[in-house]
Amino acid sequence: MTDFAERALLPAGLRDILPPHAAYEADVVARLMAAFAAQGYDRVKPPLIEFEDSLLGGAGAAMAKHTFRVMDPVTQRMMGVRADMTLQAARIATTRLAKAPRPLRLSYSGQVLRVKGSQLRPERQFAQAGIELIGAAGPAADAEVVLLAAQALVGLGVEDVSVDLTLPTLVPLVIDGLGEGEGLRDALDHKDVATVSAAGGKAAAILGALIEAVGPAPRALAKLAALDLPPAAAAERQHMAEVVRLVREAAPDLTLTIDPVENRGFEYHTGVAFTIFARHASGELGRGGRYAAHGEAATGATLFMDTVIEALPGPVAANRVFLPLGTPAPMGRRLRAEGWVTVAGLEQVTDAGAEARRLGCGHILVADRVVAVE
Amino acid sequence: MDGMVNSVDKLVLALPKGRILDEAMPLVRAAGIEPEPDFDNPKSRALRFSTNHPHIDIIRVRAFDVATFVAFGAAQMGIAGNDVLMEFDYPEIYAPLDLKIGKCRLAVAEPVELAGADDPSRWSHIRIATKYPAITARHFSQRGVQAECIKLNGAMELAPSLGLCRRIVDLVSTGSTLRANGLVEIEHIADISSRLIVNRAALKTRPEEMAGWIDRFREIANGP
Repeated sequence: MTDFAERALLPAGLRDILPPHAAYEADVVARLMAAFAAQGYDRVKPPLIEFEDSLLGGAGAAMAKHTFRVMDPVTQRMMGVRADMTLQAARIATTRLAKAPRPLRLSYSGQVLRVKGSQLRPERQFAQAGIELIGAAGPAADAEVVLLAAQALVGLGVEDVSVDLTLPTLVPLVIDGLGEGEGLRDALDHKDVATVSAAGGKAAAILGALIEAVGPAPRALAKLAALDLPPAAAAERQHMAEVVRLVREAAPDLTLTIDPVENRGFEYHTGVAFTIFARHASGELGRGGRYAAHGEAATGATLFMDTVIEALPGPVAANRVFLPLGTPAPMGRRLRAEGWVTVAGLEQVTDAGAEARRLGCGHILVADRVVAVE
Repeated sequence: MDGMVNSVDKLVLALPKGRILDEAMPLVRAAGIEPEPDFDNPKSRALRFSTNHPHIDIIRVRAFDVATFVAFGAAQMGIAGNDVLMEFDYPEIYAPLDLKIGKCRLAVAEPVELAGADDPSRWSHIRIATKYPAITARHFSQRGVQAECIKLNGAMELAPSLGLCRRIVDLVSTGSTLRANGLVEIEHIADISSRLIVNRAALKTRPEEMAGWIDRFREIANGP
């Protein structure tokens, strides 16, 4: 018995999703994909495993330490199990769909696998759903992706969605040539003003001002506008301000914050990037931003389904009706057409009501009429 | 749903038990947060206290647990030393403000008689008793030394004299505990002070409210 029970043990970070949650996740993903499709994002389906050098080349290098590898016994080449789908979509866009007209809008959903979970997301396998917009460099493209990702979540019923915009290129532009220590990057990530002012050297004052700008978008933009930035950084700031204007115009109720020093997980982003939060979820619901897809301007967003589902109210039980053995087939078809879930009895039972309850049915068919189970 | 244990708009402030609490409370009170009278009753077994703000509660937990509660969003704000923050390195914690209290340093110490003959540059492997295994391992690995850490929760100074190991990594403020146990500080790892910490998601989803508290604490910490 212990032996058998022990067989249920799964490796850390992996789990079985049971009814009704498995169906709920599928339903939520389908609704997201429908929202993406409704704005012209066409679905692609990349494979689960690819050759390591195509999966982890270029911007994919950021995922190298999260990726499971296996040897392909056929080609003797190393393969990686995808830890993220963004770059697979970007690869499709820039290779097989290189001749498709730009801007190209793609969407995807699927499972990803990671070597190690994080503190807030111990799951090593979870579902992603996302969009990529390839071949458009302007603020309108950034705003479209932010709005579509955030509004798709609002459409699902996630309450108090909030988007945190960041500019991962800003800090390197500001401290270019001033020399950046590893400790400084860490301190910026933790908004640790004390360490930044101690380790920042000549850039300490401006980095301190950037940390102080972290906050609600209008206030943050005002504080950023007051800073004397190098021309390249000032251009990035202008781009960000334009994205904020477009997003606020289209979605005035969306909580929008700016964090000009956020860098973690954005190492390969080349412009405006963002993280999506919700008031009642402890972790990130999604993230995205601008990157270079084999030289082409691209931006996209990925939603993490495990956190998205945590932020939702949960599945609503379906109306299930028990059909005792011998119910004619047309009756079952009629009820299903009316929206009932039918559960057929396979044996003659003495107390049909008790049988219905045992099988999780709130209703039972008695003399061709659906009645509630006592 | 595990992350949703707090009711909707509660703000939970996590404070560390012990030494730092005495230095932290004047700041908390100056910020206008006054806990219920039971908070100052040493016999109270309560862990969670209401305050003069109906939506703000204070919890009093061990210093290391302050960081954990805030990292997972069970508390939105807290006060923790950067020793604790460095040990865990939680990505979900922001430390936007140095409160300049609880000042001390994290250091390596060994028995006086060993210190005379020891040449740290020749080490390849050392055994160290500490409350901070992660910081210790990271510190020594940067120098190419493998540190085998024995995790203790207190009274590190006893370890060398009882033969548990020869060196320790611990907090030092005046150095008198080290001296009393025949130990001498041989290496400085970091300066320690207490920080105001906030949960990342809370700062992003309740930006006005959280920024307001950070600003208020900043005025107090940087005040006259």
